[in-house]
Amino acid sequence: MVELISRISKGTRMDQIYIPKERMPGFELGATVLIKPVLEKANIRPYYYNVSNLEPIKNIIIEEIMNYFENFDNVIITGSFLEKGFDFEDIDVLLITERKADTSKLESHFERDFGIKLHIIAIDFKSLLKGLITDPLFQMMLSKFVSGKRVIFRIKRKINYKLLDLHLLESKVLIGNFGFLPGREKYKLIRNSIAIKLFMENESISLETVNSEIDSYFGKETVRNIRENLLDKSFLNKYKELYDRIFKDILAGIKNDSKQE
Amino acid sequence: MTQNRNKLIGLFIGNIANAVVHKILELAIDDELLRNYYGKELLNSVEIARKYREKINPINRPLPEKDIEYIKNKVINKSNSELKLRIAKGYKNINLDLVDDIIDKMMADMKIKD
Repeated sequence: MVELISRISKGTRMDQIYIPKERMPGFELGATVLIKPVLEKANIRPYYYNVSNLEPIKNIIIEEIMNYFENFDNVIITGSFLEKGFDFEDIDVLLITERKADTSKLESHFERDFGIKLHIIAIDFKSLLKGLITDPLFQMMLSKFVSGKRVIFRIKRKINYKLLDLHLLESKVLIGNFGFLPGREKYKLIRNSIAIKLFMENESISLETVNSEIDSYFGKETVRNIRENLLDKSFLNKYKELYDRIFKDILAGIKNDSKQE
Repeated sequence: MTQNRNKLIGLFIGNIANAVVHKILELAIDDELLRNYYGKELLNSVEIARKYREKINPINRPLPEKDIEYIKNKVINKSNSELKLRIAKGYKNINLDLVDDIIDKMMADMKIKD
């Protein structure tokens, strides 16, 4: 088959591919042609951090994601997708890039091409490190990941009480909307509060440590009961107490910081 | 029916007030890098408020003037008391003057008002 190789160039409203005026038969004006990338996909060997025994289908999906976003500085896959089983809504993907990225466009393109929902966060490496230093959720998220390129995070935790206040406020939603939220949402909000608590207590933060703290604080099987939405009002009272205690500690931290300024 | 509507309005107010406080606190973060990053994240409270809004009649047009006034006043009071609590503890950079505009914007966005 006759082939032509050309480069995609940027246009104003649409991008284009220029081909010579003098060309071989089959490329007449109006002819339908197939366009596909000429380079073979790079042989990507993902780096697994704290991830073991992934189902084989997940490894295939990981490779597709890595290939799809190979033009970014790095791709990090995290979240419930890396847990055993298939109980995840979408796949959390961190795209490390210095450029601006239209994440919702990327998400919808990927979903259209592969039928898989992604939740993409585009972030530059400096912000990622800053997030890891100050943000309990980032720490939990990156306690387990798969990345396109090997990456090692060596960070020293720094408590930013204003940021923790902002995070904790998210979990206040649980108090006012307890009867209306599905189990999955409740779990996320409780997990958030517990991650903040562990962060302030300088404890290690991973999905496992957070879940074990939930069970130890609220009682055995709580994690399972939250997810299945089997909690009653007595749980809510205990949660309110915990929330107030964390909030009080955060306010004390803010007060202390403001004295030192 | 009215009781149900009032309950929904109450829940809506709680979530919008939470979102307003969140927005103001976001703007009060000293670190620009963090502020820019967290400013982009969509809040749970906004999403939940939107769901309640979809159940409050009239759904597709602004609420009656007296409802708008009631909701706005309640949200202002709730947001201000949360923010003042923090100011009293020495939280700096909280700009209470922004509350009004942020509420107006959110209420318009949710078709509570024009």
